[in-house]
Amino acid sequence: MKKLASLLGVLALSLLLSAVAAFGLAPAAQAKEAKIGFAFSMTGGAAAYGATQKNGAQLALDEINAKAGADGIKLVALFDDDASTPQQGINVFNKFINADKVSVIMGPTLSNTAQVADRIAQQAGVPVLAISNTAQGITEIGDFIFRDSLTEAVVIPNTINTVKAKLGIKKVALLYGNDDAFTKAGYEAFKNALNQAGIQIMSEQTFAKGDRDFSPQLTQIKGMNPDAIVCSALVEEASGIVAQARQLGIAASVPIIGGNGFNSPALIKNAGQAAEGVIVGAAWNAASPLPLNKKFVEDYTKRYGVAPDQFAAQAHAGVYILNEAIKKAGDPNNRKAIRDAMTQVKDLDTVLGPFFFTPGRDAGSQPVVQVVKNGKFAVLGN
Amino acid sequence: MDLITHLYAVYGSVLNFMGINALLALSLYVTLSSGLLSLGNAAFAGIGGYVAGILTTKLGAPYLVSLGAGTLAAGLAGMLLGLPVLRLRGVFLAMATLAFGEVVRIAALNLEITGGAMGLIGLPVKTNTWIIYLALAAAAYLVARMARSRLGWALTSIREDETAAAAMGVNLTLTKTIAFTLGAGLAGLAGALYAHLNFLITPGEFGFSVAVNLLMYNIVGGYRVWYGPLLGAALLTALPELLRALGVTAGPLRLGINGLILLLVILFLPKGLADLFHRRGDPATAPAQAAPAKG
Amino acid sequence: MNVLGQQLVNGLFIGGMYSLFAVGYTLVFGVLDILNLAHAAVFTMGGLAALWLVQSAGLSIWAAFPLATLLAGVLGLLVNQVAFVPLRRRPDTYFSGLISSIAMAIIFEALAMQIFGAHNVRFPAGTVPVVIWRLGGITITLLQVEILATVVLLMVTLTQLLKRARIGKAIRAVAENQRAARLLGINVDGVIAFTFFLSSALGGAAGILFGLYFDSLSPDMGRPIELKGLAVIVLGGMGSVPGAILGGLAFGLSEVLTVAISGTSNLRDAVAFTMLFAIMLLRPSGILGKGRTREA
Repeated sequence: MKKLASLLGVLALSLLLSAVAAFGLAPAAQAKEAKIGFAFSMTGGAAAYGATQKNGAQLALDEINAKAGADGIKLVALFDDDASTPQQGINVFNKFINADKVSVIMGPTLSNTAQVADRIAQQAGVPVLAISNTAQGITEIGDFIFRDSLTEAVVIPNTINTVKAKLGIKKVALLYGNDDAFTKAGYEAFKNALNQAGIQIMSEQTFAKGDRDFSPQLTQIKGMNPDAIVCSALVEEASGIVAQARQLGIAASVPIIGGNGFNSPALIKNAGQAAEGVIVGAAWNAASPLPLNKKFVEDYTKRYGVAPDQFAAQAHAGVYILNEAIKKAGDPNNRKAIRDAMTQVKDLDTVLGPFFFTPGRDAGSQPVVQVVKNGKFAVLGN
Repeated sequence: MDLITHLYAVYGSVLNFMGINALLALSLYVTLSSGLLSLGNAAFAGIGGYVAGILTTKLGAPYLVSLGAGTLAAGLAGMLLGLPVLRLRGVFLAMATLAFGEVVRIAALNLEITGGAMGLIGLPVKTNTWIIYLALAAAAYLVARMARSRLGWALTSIREDETAAAAMGVNLTLTKTIAFTLGAGLAGLAGALYAHLNFLITPGEFGFSVAVNLLMYNIVGGYRVWYGPLLGAALLTALPELLRALGVTAGPLRLGINGLILLLVILFLPKGLADLFHRRGDPATAPAQAAPAKG
Repeated sequence: MNVLGQQLVNGLFIGGMYSLFAVGYTLVFGVLDILNLAHAAVFTMGGLAALWLVQSAGLSIWAAFPLATLLAGVLGLLVNQVAFVPLRRRPDTYFSGLISSIAMAIIFEALAMQIFGAHNVRFPAGTVPVVIWRLGGITITLLQVEILATVVLLMVTLTQLLKRARIGKAIRAVAENQRAARLLGINVDGVIAFTFFLSSALGGAAGILFGLYFDSLSPDMGRPIELKGLAVIVLGGMGSVPGAILGGLAFGLSEVLTVAISGTSNLRDAVAFTMLFAIMLLRPSGILGKGRTREA
């Protein structure tokens, strides 16, 4: 029994230690402060995406707080790491909700984590704004869950229809990551959209997260002479796919078509000349001439030394949306009022364009179809 | 009382994961204590989790029935895998079970019924802290009792010297297979509990890195006594929270300190955390001489 | 367009990469009977070090390659000294060495992340000239030829070193029987340290070539190849250098052939690991391995 007692002792001591520290670090929010918890993947498989999300959010926070003045509501940001796993995501959400008493949560980075963590927030009545979860069934979790990221189910049919109208493709090969919820959802959306548009799928190839060699799949695809390669991948893999496809001699006249995951300047930077002509259907128009967006791209590039990607843009827009809702709600500590105010957000100027939530609490912004031209994203149509 | 309620609200989930991970660590301990390194226990947990989850969601089976079925399915898989692979020694057994684990994970990714990469969604949340710790206590009792049984001595003798054990009349295949099956069953139970904890399970939660984590829990905690793996699992699961609470910034720094602590424990606590808690001379923790034989 | 021919080239190439990675892995196992799970992290550090030398120190890749390879070797010495030497007298070196080397890997990865960020980074354009040949529908690049030549050169050097040089003989003696080697007056600890240096230098070199060829590096780039590397050394026979070379090629070819024959890539990894599993059951000593792997 002595052993058991010591065991329990260790457990209790560890928890107590963290509790004391948590109380010490979390003073009650001031009346004119709103605490926002940001749960992003800073380590693990999605760390590259969590990093730009944090950058985008930080930029927006600084802009808003600089303008808040003496009587405005100041946004207090708490960033934490969901480590790209559902378990850590749940722990972070519990800490945000019960220890830090945040008013609202932004994140988590991955859809799988959101599937479980968002439920905790829904039960506790804490509004969540998802900024990168594009899988089905996220906002369906409940009326406290919102998202500003357009789902693949919205972006992709639009992309396929636009591409079909402009380029007249008839048969394509599909390449997707089958061990990741995001890329798998993208694949299903592509498959449905292609079937509906009456475009033939000649071959379906898969890869795994972290793969760097795509030549076996691309060799098979090349042998079939498709009109285009449709690809559901995140940018780190997408860059390799695009570069290796051209290197294997798949002609530049065979466009590579991607979704939200492709919408990053890293694609152009990494794949270089090979990225020319790549078609990217997405939620954020990097080349949008709207003043707020131009300023965002400039400021972000100046501050971080690289151009922003869609993850950063959606995080930036997300902070503006939350700020608007908190202002409208009046009381930064009233979670329910903030939730209600979220539904009222309308025609808000964000880097994603004028923003509102659909009745299903999904993004009401417009998707765009871009093409890489002279090393830049340009609009193909929408 | 308020403080406890508050603590539970903040750290209840950590407490749950500690319990599940401790149960998983214990499942590995069963075979590890006989010197057999299996990297397949994460996959057994996956089998238990998916079987239980599918029964609950697709067939509407009651929770307890699903738990039982998950445990049995994993145990059965353990027995079927054990029969051919348990002839292998040391690193070869580790590799064979690793390959098995990868095949299971890839199957879960590609099958329709498991939901692929999206995971098995819509599992009813039935598991709670009490159930987890009840299962853990029962499992720990079973394992602790086993250490003093004929089976336990047979396993220890296999660890010390396989050839001698055989000469003394220990039935190697039978003993190993029982241990392996038992370990797989416990892993399956942990997986089944986990499946009903959070609405969703995904193939990635039962992959190679989890298999390695289980080994870490055992080494850090000490795998000479039954409570070693529990200590290891508790510490390593809580470590990110502890660092978080101590104000270590999220990101690479926290990851690095995690690694550093792991290293320090290995270097300075040769018998694991359990060593801190037992008095010298306890026969259960007396240093064993046998390292795994040369491959 | 010759699909099968191209696939064979692809398989040969990725297989060569696996081989180089696995040779270092298996070398340490051959001598010490332990797996150094920090090997993949050293692979990553080698690649990133070369990138830093080219990008920030402005060196040409020809200078950066040997320097980064050396650095990877030094990291290997560090891994040995910190993660393995202190455990050597313990009864359970085998299990605890796995974990202490994983701890080193975690620290390396955190370090790499702190310095380079989590994003993929790449060598500046023009680090290596891009020349592409198309022969009868098969694409081969100059870089591929250079990399394959480097791999072959390193392998031949290593084999000759082990076979002929004094230190090579000492390594083989220690691998065979440590106690006997010590009685023969061989500095066993020195030989083990050198083995780690050699193994990690090869791993680092593999990381550089991998990063150059796929044109992207990241702190976690070692992870997918770690598992495959394990499969390769088992396939080739634990501890056997020629086995690791053959195993790497076999693994690379099995991957591409699965895609070529089935026409889809869903089964690629499943086939590779099922093959590994089957080999463990049928011939656990691997293609070229020797030694006892199971009790009668």
